[in-house]
Order: sequence, then C-alpha cells, then structure tokens
Amino acid sequence: MVEKARRSLVESDERGNPTPQWEVFVRAEAADPMRHVGSVAAASATEAHEHASRLFGWDAADVWLCPAEAVERYSTRGLATDTGGEESRVSEGADGKPEVQDA
Amino acid sequence: MISISKLLCDLDAEGDGLRYDAAEGSEKPQITEKKQRRPVVVWNTTRRCNLYCSHCYAGADLDPASGEFTTAEGKAFLDQLADYGAPVVLFSGGEPLVRDDLVELVSYAADQGLRPVLSSNGTLITREKAAALRDAGLQYAGISVDGLPERNDRFRGEEGAFDAAVRGIENCLEVGLKTGLRYTITEANAPDLEGVVDLLAEKGLDRFCFYHLDYGGRGAEIVDADLSPQEKREAVRRVADMTLEYHDRGEEIETLLVGNYADAAFLVEYAREEFGEAKAQAVYDYLERNGGDPTGERIADVDYQGNVHLTQFWQGYSLGNVRDRPFGEIWEDESNPLLEALRNREEHLKGKCADCQYQSICRGASRLRALAATGDLFEPDPQCYLTDDEVFGTEAGSMVGGAAD
Repeated sequence: MVEKARRSLVESDERGNPTPQWEVFVRAEAADPMRHVGSVAAASATEAHEHASRLFGWDAADVWLCPAEAVERYSTRGLATDTGGEESRVSEGADGKPEVQDA
Repeated sequence: MISISKLLCDLDAEGDGLRYDAAEGSEKPQITEKKQRRPVVVWNTTRRCNLYCSHCYAGADLDPASGEFTTAEGKAFLDQLADYGAPVVLFSGGEPLVRDDLVELVSYAADQGLRPVLSSNGTLITREKAAALRDAGLQYAGISVDGLPERNDRFRGEEGAFDAAVRGIENCLEVGLKTGLRYTITEANAPDLEGVVDLLAEKGLDRFCFYHLDYGGRGAEIVDADLSPQEKREAVRRVADMTLEYHDRGEEIETLLVGNYADAAFLVEYAREEFGEAKAQAVYDYLERNGGDPTGERIADVDYQGNVHLTQFWQGYSLGNVRDRPFGEIWEDESNPLLEALRNREEHLKGKCADCQYQSICRGASRLRALAATGDLFEPDPQCYLTDDEVFGTEAGSMVGGAAD
C-alpha cells in the first residue's frame, strides 16, 4: 500500500496586512514553466500588476495574479497541522483520491 | 545595524548576541568575524497599537485586526523559527504589549532556544509587566521615542506619550531588563536628537539606536518628511560626535545606526578624519565582516497574517506565508528570482552603486527606498549622501588600492 500524504486545509481567507494580497505567478521566458514568486499587497489587480512588474518584470514573459483568498490550499505542514487545529482535514493519497478527516 | 561605539570607541556591548552571532557573555567583538547566516526574525505579533504614529512601517491601527495568530499558532510559528535555527525573534507590532499572551509567547520562545527581544512604544510597560517579561526570558527591550515631549507626542498622535514611554523605560531599567532607545530620524525631530539622548542617559539608559526612515507602511506617505541626503549626513555626524563626547567624559553609551548603509562608508571617512588611516582601516575591516545591508539575508519579517517579508519595512511584498509552508523553507527557497537577485545584488546594482568603492560594506543600502523612489530595484538608494569623491575614491586617502581591494 502506498503511504498517503496527509494534507490539511490551510486558512487563506485573511491574508491582507491590511492591503489585499495577490499571489504572483511569473513565466520568465516563453518556454519556462509558470512559477509562484510570492505575493504583493495592492488595492486592485491593476495595481498588483504594476507592483509585480516592478519586482519581476525586467525579464518576465507572463505575469499572472490571483487574490490570495481565492486560492484553496492544502499542505502537509501548515501551522494548523502543527497545532492540531480543529478544521476538517483533507488528505489525498498517492492515487489522487482525496479523503476527508476530522482533526 | 552599525555600532558607532564599537567602531570608534572599541566598546564591546551586550548586543553581541542580539545582532550578530556571538554568544551571550562571549568576548568576541560586537561585529563578528563570521557573518551571521540565519536571520534575526521580526514578528509583527499584532496590527493593533494604542498609538497612531505618522511614520509607522506596519501601518498599525487602534482597532484590532482579524487573522492574527492564536496563541497556539504563535507557538507553532516559534517552533518553525527554532527548527530553522533563527538566533533571535523580535516581538514587534503594532504594539506587542496589547497581546495578553505576550509573556507566554516570550517564555515559549526562550524555552525553544530563541533569543526573545522586544520592540515597543513603552507606554504599556508597567513595572509588573517588565518583571514578568524579564522572568519569561526577555533579553532586551527597545523602546521608541521620536523627539522631546512636544514633538514626540505630535509624531505619535497622543499627548503624554513621551512621559509614558519614559516611565516604561524606567520600569524596565528598575527590574534589570536591558533596554535601549529606538529613534527614527526625520526632518521634524532631527533637532531633538541630542536632547533626547541627554535626557534618557540621565535616567540610566545607555543604548541608543537611530533609525533612518524607510519608505514602507505609513513611512512611504511621509517621504517628504525625510531629511535631505545632506541633512542626513549631518545628523549622522552629530551622532558620531556625540558618541565621542560621551566616551571622552567616561560615559560609555552604546550608539547604533540602522537602515542606511551609506553610514558604513561615512564612518570610515569619519574615522580617517578623526583618528587617521590605521583607524579607518580597522573600521573598514569590521564593516566588511558585518557584510552591509542585511535585507533578505540577516533580517526577516513575518507579519501578523503570517506573510514573510524581506525586512520589516518591506510589507508590500511577501515571499510566502508561514501558514502554508514553514519559515525556513520559504527563506531558503532561492528559486524565487527576487530573493536570489537580492542575495547576489552586486551583479545587479546600477549607477554609482555599481562602481562604488564602498560596495562591499554597503551593498547598495536600501533597495526598498530605491524601488519606492525610482521604480527600479537596483538603482542607487536616493538617501546615499556620499560625495562622488567618496564613492569613486578619487580623493587622497581613498580606500581604493587599500582596504577596499
């Protein structure tokens, strides 16, 4: 039997400090894979793009932005995992089938 | 962080273990032979503050923010730092004392082998609270005062804030907690600099940290309130002069500069002017070991939402979030092109920074100020106040051909 990775749902509905956070994805050159490069704080997508362009735009072919709270995250090592948080946990085996567990 | 008192007056201070890698009680010099590889981590434990300062880099507010770590999450985060081997955690904010679990978190950090230190406005530090923090293992409290009473209170948006901060400092000193001043120099409070040091030295304080304004948080909104580069040079000269005067009188105060590594080059020039070439060389050697601006290397910040920043002032960009991934993984991940570029910034610096003879002790100073002022991460810091002669080494006594090679 394949050992299953045990991932937990990570809270991500509040990431602004307090300016909203936008996850930034950059493809440096046309043939490169898209890469997550952190997040920028910005009031709008346009502002986030300008901000990301100043940081990464010197050679990036593509820049994608996504509101941080719109990303569903599951991790094997988030803070909630460490503390035995009470959220429902979702695990997914190597076969790709998710299973939901209570913490 | 550059220690004037160490460089010019050979004062070995307790701050060794705080900012560099010397152990507590070590006889190593304050700026050590070995560059600290793990960062000091500033943790903005809360956004909430009981004051509303015009220059706050964290954009702190009177109201509590949602999404702050619970006590359990805070401890899990401290575990991450301990696992990674971070030497120091700096409890900051907002105002960290508004968290009612601060003493518990400080105690937990100390138990995990982290060195807990505090950055506070001081106004909530009663004698009892100071004693509890000391007993929990707090090693140092840095208290912000930004001018004599009238100017400080205007800056901090609260009448009586100066007196309350001084009471906080006295409470720390009375219970034997190592305490220092944090003073952010702006156009508005530069004239008060010596007055504040005199007043607090009289009360027994012996550590004074002077911060240059960085252009993050509300600091970005008051760029116009910053000193001009020339005024900044004069302010730094006054701090250096004051340090020598105190030491000449036998009062061994510790003075430090934070946030503008043009100061490193200036202190080499100052040492040459005051003491001659041999001292300038010694100062340069210390500063070269210190390694210049620490952004993204020897300093890190984690905000109250868990976002990891390159310094505490650079809140507009985050490398990742410790809710998703442990701090050490985020900090070590040089697949991030910005982190990689900052750690190899010598290859990218432009303009006069590219050819500056002091590049190895400055490293381009604040990349955040360069970004804010020019839109380009690698243009020169607008607050570099060095003359062209100093930058390019065309003056007699230049470090080029000497220590800089």
